[in-house]
Amino acid sequence: MTSADPHPPLILLSGVVKRFATAAGEFEALRGVDLTVDHGEFVAVVGKSGSGKSTLLNMIAGIDRPSEGSIAVHGSSLGQLSEAQLARWRGLSLGIVFQFFQLMPTLTALENVQLPMDFAGRGAGPEAAGRARELLRRVGLADQADKLPAALSGGEQQRVAIARALANDPPLVVADEPTGNLDSATADQIFRLFEQLVAVGKTIVFVTHDRDLAQRASRVLEIADGRIVGDHLVGLSAASETS
Amino acid sequence: MRSGFRLAALAPRWRKVVRDLSLARARTFMVVLSIAVGVFAIGTVAGTRQRIARALDDSFRAIQPSNATLTTFTTFDDDLVSTVERMPEVAEAEGRRSLFVRVRAAGGEWRNMQLNVLPKDGLTRLDRVLPHEGQWPPPRRAMVVERSALGLVGAGIGEDVTVRTPLGKERTLRVVGTAFDVYALIFTIDGTPWGYIDEDTLAWLGEGRGVNELHLRAAERADDAGHIADVVAAVRDKLERDGRAIYYMTIPEPGKHPLDSTIQAMLLLLGAMGALALGLSGFLVANTAAAIMAQETRAIGIMKAIGAGQGQIGGLYAGLVLAYGALSLGVALPAGLAGTVWLSRLMARYLNLDLHGGVISLPVLALQAAVALLVPVIAAAVPIWLGTRITVREALNSYGLGRGQFGRRRMDRLLERLSGLSRPLLLGLRNTFRRPGRLMLTVITLTIAGAMFVGVLHVRASLGRTMDTLMQLYQYDVAIQLARPYRLERLLGVAQGVPGIREAEGWGFTSARHLGAERPQGPSMLSLSVPLIVFAPPAQSTMLRVPILRGRWLLPGDERAAVVSTAVLDDQPGLDVGGTIRLKLEGRDTSWTVVGVTQGLGPTPLIYVNYLPFSKVVEAAGQAQWLSVTLIEPSEAARQTAAKALESAFERAGLRISLVIKIDEERREALAAFDGIIALLLAMVGLMAIVGGLGLAGTTSLNVIERTREIGVMRAIGAGDGTLYQIILVETLTVALLSWLLGTALSLPLGWALGRAIGQSLLGNPLSFGLSLGGAAVWLGLEVVLVLLCSWLPARRAVRISVREALAYD
Repeated sequence: MTSADPHPPLILLSGVVKRFATAAGEFEALRGVDLTVDHGEFVAVVGKSGSGKSTLLNMIAGIDRPSEGSIAVHGSSLGQLSEAQLARWRGLSLGIVFQFFQLMPTLTALENVQLPMDFAGRGAGPEAAGRARELLRRVGLADQADKLPAALSGGEQQRVAIARALANDPPLVVADEPTGNLDSATADQIFRLFEQLVAVGKTIVFVTHDRDLAQRASRVLEIADGRIVGDHLVGLSAASETS
Repeated sequence: MRSGFRLAALAPRWRKVVRDLSLARARTFMVVLSIAVGVFAIGTVAGTRQRIARALDDSFRAIQPSNATLTTFTTFDDDLVSTVERMPEVAEAEGRRSLFVRVRAAGGEWRNMQLNVLPKDGLTRLDRVLPHEGQWPPPRRAMVVERSALGLVGAGIGEDVTVRTPLGKERTLRVVGTAFDVYALIFTIDGTPWGYIDEDTLAWLGEGRGVNELHLRAAERADDAGHIADVVAAVRDKLERDGRAIYYMTIPEPGKHPLDSTIQAMLLLLGAMGALALGLSGFLVANTAAAIMAQETRAIGIMKAIGAGQGQIGGLYAGLVLAYGALSLGVALPAGLAGTVWLSRLMARYLNLDLHGGVISLPVLALQAAVALLVPVIAAAVPIWLGTRITVREALNSYGLGRGQFGRRRMDRLLERLSGLSRPLLLGLRNTFRRPGRLMLTVITLTIAGAMFVGVLHVRASLGRTMDTLMQLYQYDVAIQLARPYRLERLLGVAQGVPGIREAEGWGFTSARHLGAERPQGPSMLSLSVPLIVFAPPAQSTMLRVPILRGRWLLPGDERAAVVSTAVLDDQPGLDVGGTIRLKLEGRDTSWTVVGVTQGLGPTPLIYVNYLPFSKVVEAAGQAQWLSVTLIEPSEAARQTAAKALESAFERAGLRISLVIKIDEERREALAAFDGIIALLLAMVGLMAIVGGLGLAGTTSLNVIERTREIGVMRAIGAGDGTLYQIILVETLTVALLSWLLGTALSLPLGWALGRAIGQSLLGNPLSFGLSLGGAAVWLGLEVVLVLLCSWLPARRAVRISVREALAYD
């Protein structure tokens, strides 16, 4: 844990509970989660289906709000932000990578990368296009910039999605099963990209089923029944347990 | 990307809008067409209204309209005209001559015609007759025919017609040209053509000189109907003091075309048509926008996840809708111009108007642009707001299999209880009610379209029914109006000598002036004051079946009793059964007690009195000016034959005929007055069918497109083509049947209200409601065919895509 550091943590969750009302009654997806993630960490969240790992990621990304507890990310207390403020905050502070890539099918790779800049009011001019091209170059897709998503392979689409996540140069990238829909070779490429991003100071939090891939992160959070039941620093023999 | 270089200047979100437009072509086509229909209708209606109003204004101004025309029974000379012109209230007075003749084109039949006598130079000062085609002014022994009446005469320019005067003289005249006369149309519609001759031709026809019409213009306040009425009363008194009985008075509403109320009714219908098409178009857009927003749920979620606010996303989709509007304008502007040309020509032909000036009108184009751009945005505002309100989690959790809401509503539980149906049928039925908001919009759109379609056909049926009811009034087959009263025995003797005649009745007949009328106001249809027509059939006549609205029919013992048509009541507010009506009958002031009120045929005020008291009042006991006959075997052909035979027999007997009336012709002519309205109503029906069809087509297509992922799932678990078609068909058929039922139910009050308004405007009374079951059946058939077409095409596309493609569908 790094809470003793002089710099505030990038992510801070305190007593986060999330309940969902379903036809079968109330369901508690998160049951009092406390979590701190510092700048530059590469965090994997693992757990079974329905364990609450995606809900946790949604909380960090401001996609969903907790029923109880508080969340602060990149200096913002998410509970105090309106939906519109949350959207703007996400655009600037956070990049999201989805399992099914979720690119806009009618925009080219370059335009998909430019879209968050557009929403953040960072222009659609040549600088924005230049930055988007640079990001695509970094993910190895400079020559595919003007193709529509349908003309790209799954791995290429996910790399475009990563470039899009980096469009506004956020400190944090969250990814929900980013390789869940990719073969192992392509998954490996994606992870190498993540490692490069961490190397340049980005913080990455990703959800996965795959325990082998999780081991490529620097820290692994294990979640079960809405609680963090394991918090390991990869490569260290002693695991720190949280509940 | 081919369009990349052009799009480069746009922000990525607007590039998405442009690509959405160009890549989702089927969707763009449907939405653009939906908006374009409404904008086209607005353009056509507004353009036509403007053109017709301008033409009306131009044509009316060109003729130097008089304030009134008084027609006398007998002719008078120019001195009397000069006397009237010297009256301080009168600015201008012009004497003219008109006469009813019988006319026959080569190989044609005799028909009634009004000949108007023009000065040698053809120039009249008031109510000008203008040259149109051929020779002008009419030379000696020739005739010019009013252009709208050429078809009625049956002869073209350069052809000869035979004219028979009331004195029985027959002459052959050549039709040398056509003219334009604003007032002729009223009579053309009624089946009486107008022709023009010069004074020499009149003499050649054996008619004496002198005039019988006085056209006059008031010295001041020419736009004040009350003042005009006073001036006309003063002139009428002067004529009557001079011993001239007034046969006919025409007092148009100041500054208004004689057919103004008909035109207003048409314009009202046009306006209603435009507004409805626009309203429906709005519903279609709202419906389509809701479907688009549903399709875009995931995209909205992603955009929100990468930093877009609701306002930004809302703006993006508003931009998309605005672009649809702009594209539709590209279709609707030229289509609207074409529609304007077509509809204004149709109306101008019907109204005998000349269209001047161009079709393009900036205000109309601006209106269309405003409608095309604003209405879609307004209509789509709510769906866009609702669609963009969705949270990122909800949006991203949407897998295109619905939001898991089915089962919560009462309707869903009702559908759950349905049993004994096949699974596809059940699924189709349940799918229909899965999105109640969408269902409601679709059903409302189709219901309104259906209600208008069937409602308009109810109005058409109501017109026919009203005509039937009114025509039942006349139980005779042929009637003859004579130039003057003749001895009854003589008339009956001649008539009964004609083969095929079963029975003949002689009636008293004259025109009268309503002394109690507050002012000679125009009846609703013609903006004209026409004289009261008095029929005096024998008591217990078998040839009249007058429908009584209030009170009773005449009894044999009735002396000074009268049954009056509703048009008479319009002239004297407060008059009703039990009241007294004062009439000037052939120069005599008389009083009659109103015992019944009937619905008249057309705007002419009618009064029925018993023959005996009538003949005493007009001092023509034992005489009649009207003969009604029934036939042994009535048929259209038999009526033709009998009319010819009667005309010949009367001619041989030296009895002068003014008019010959065949009952079927009368009905046709009465119905012809509604031709323009019917044509407009049918155009309205067509438009509604297009809008409704588009609505169904659009919704069905979008529903199927939206279900692509679900279709993939069903495919994956083994659903065959037939099953998928069945599910989609059941869903769309349910929507069609539901909206048909509601639309048919709504068509009843709508048809009734429309019939009421049209009847009131044209006949002065609501139409008798007629049900068009055929119309309801046609709409059902149309809906089913559309459903089959519109669901089959997208369904075929849906079943052709692979499971993998369907499941990956976004």
